Amino acid sequence: MRAQLFIAGRQLWHRKLLNSIAVLGVMLGVLALISITGIMRGFQTRFLDTILQISPHVVVLDTELGEKRPVIDLLLGDSPSATRILHQTPTDRQRRIARPTESARALSRLEGVEAVALLVVGNAVASAGSKELPVELRGIDPAVQDRVTPLRDKVVAGALEELGGAVDGAVIGGELAEQLGVAVGDTIACASARGERARLRIVAIFETGVQSLDKGRLYVTTRQAQTILGRGDVIDRIELRLADPERAPAVTARIEALFGYDAESWQETNSSMLDVFAQQNVITRIIIGAVLLVGGFGILSIQIMIVLEKRRDIALLKSVGYSSRDVLAIFLTEGAVVAFLGAALGAGASRILLDLLRGLRSASGFGYTKPSTFAIYERPSVYALAFVFAVVVGLLASLVPAWRASRVEPVDVLRGS
Amino acid sequence: MSATPALEARQLVRDLGDEVKTRILHGLDLTIASGELVSVTGPSGSGKSTLLYLLGALDRPTSGEVFIEGTPISPLDDLARGALRGVRLGFVFQFHFLLPELTAIENVMIPMLRRKDIGPADARQRAVDVLTTLGLGDKLAHRPNQLSGGQQQRVSIARAIAHRPRILLADEPTGNLDSVAGEAVIDIFEQLVRDRGMTIVMVTHEASYAKRTQREIRLHDGRIADIVSHRVPFEPARHHRDDAAIELARVPNGS
Repeated sequence: MRAQLFIAGRQLWHRKLLNSIAVLGVMLGVLALISITGIMRGFQTRFLDTILQISPHVVVLDTELGEKRPVIDLLLGDSPSATRILHQTPTDRQRRIARPTESARALSRLEGVEAVALLVVGNAVASAGSKELPVELRGIDPAVQDRVTPLRDKVVAGALEELGGAVDGAVIGGELAEQLGVAVGDTIACASARGERARLRIVAIFETGVQSLDKGRLYVTTRQAQTILGRGDVIDRIELRLADPERAPAVTARIEALFGYDAESWQETNSSMLDVFAQQNVITRIIIGAVLLVGGFGILSIQIMIVLEKRRDIALLKSVGYSSRDVLAIFLTEGAVVAFLGAALGAGASRILLDLLRGLRSASGFGYTKPSTFAIYERPSVYALAFVFAVVVGLLASLVPAWRASRVEPVDVLRGS
Repeated sequence: MSATPALEARQLVRDLGDEVKTRILHGLDLTIASGELVSVTGPSGSGKSTLLYLLGALDRPTSGEVFIEGTPISPLDDLARGALRGVRLGFVFQFHFLLPELTAIENVMIPMLRRKDIGPADARQRAVDVLTTLGLGDKLAHRPNQLSGGQQQRVSIARAIAHRPRILLADEPTGNLDSVAGEAVIDIFEQLVRDRGMTIVMVTHEASYAKRTQREIRLHDGRIADIVSHRVPFEPARHHRDDAAIELARVPNGS
């Protein structure tokens, strides 16, 4: 192989400018692959991490499963008939999860479940002075809830523990506090359409980075929430944390089968976002594929040109004993070297670019999270993938020209000259 | 050994063209003894080059057979023919066909680098020796475009003989050279035959160069029209001297 490598090396060097352009093409492809993957997956990974930190992996809702058919349908049976119900009155029955404590105990014994919390959730209005804002009121047991959706480390002022001891305590989102103009120790009023108006003392303020939470969520004790919402002793939601979040859909299906209540995995809750991610990934792959393809075509066209130009040299090599395979090896080596150099330079450029991006502040991520620095996904596996892709593309691109080169018949060239 | 001819053609026929076949060689018989310096002459289109490519196993005959030192070439596949060319034959063409990106010495090494039985250091030493003998000792690191036409052709001769083949095939080797450089090429050929017992077949259209060979094979329309023997001022070596030092007279520079 040394003769073939030697000739390939000299030919590459002799055509420095042209081959540099091919190298540049591959480099841009690799740069695109690594940096676009880095930015896209970085954002997605950070988003999912945030979601998984602040939201439960599985939520059990108070909706009972099973079809509720109107009584008239039951009376008529399966006989062919048409029914139309007019003026149906909503039932007055309160929706709730029956025997919540026992359910929680049973749920906590399910495989893969780490923690279970009982909640009461409803809409209310919080007011301070003349300001009134709608809030999502959540009645929790702070110590238990903290194990399901860690809140303690999101608290920026006050202490979450104080909620446990104070019946009139409240934990409030940072942005909500700002809009109401209140701080820890201040008092706000809270009321709902059906329950009692209560005065609450702010014991802690939290910041999750997710705007919808920071802007609209108010935590109080379970007892207090039931009072404000006028719900008696109702528990209408159970939240679970799992050891492996990826197993949430399976656990959800099991819960629905066992308990007969509607349950939702975090994937279901965030399905719109996950769909967006999936589409982003498809687009990303198309772009990366296209850029790599362009790099490949760069090698292809330049190699075709070089092979045409080198017909005489190829004829000479063959007449002095070089085989078709030797010639094939020479041109494939050239393609591989171009691809390898391009990949190496592209990887280097990606490192620099990603480092620069890490230092920049990104725009508000889809209005969903607070503006922050770019989250960058950078793993050796991405670099390895880019390398393999580049070399494969380089070899494929040089296959056709190299094959043509190997088919050159020395006599054809000699006769023509 | 002397009984086996260096090259032999039997009933050699070669047609060219895809749709309209043109017969270039019409059943040609030819025997070239080991250690002979032979020229092939004839008008354009008489089949000189075609004959040379067939004798050099660069081309396959339509029918008939070529024997290189007794070995028939038709049964050989491309790989075997290539290997045979790389070991037993040397080629010089009208155009030097030097690789432009390589220096003179690297160009001379190219056929030897392909071979497993010649190490790189040995190949380099042989290239230096041959180039020096041919008067290019001070041009070893020059690229083809830094050499004159005569020097380029001498590098290509060095490339053809450095691996010490027994047979040298030359297709219009003087065609692109002025008369001084052309004469120098014939001088080298004479010495290779005289001192190393090499067999040389040279296609030429220059009568003056043909007269300096032992036999002139005149082709006309793909047939041998005449074979003329010339008196040459040297006695060919009886045997091919494979490993003998090449004792060629120095060729002056600058041609």
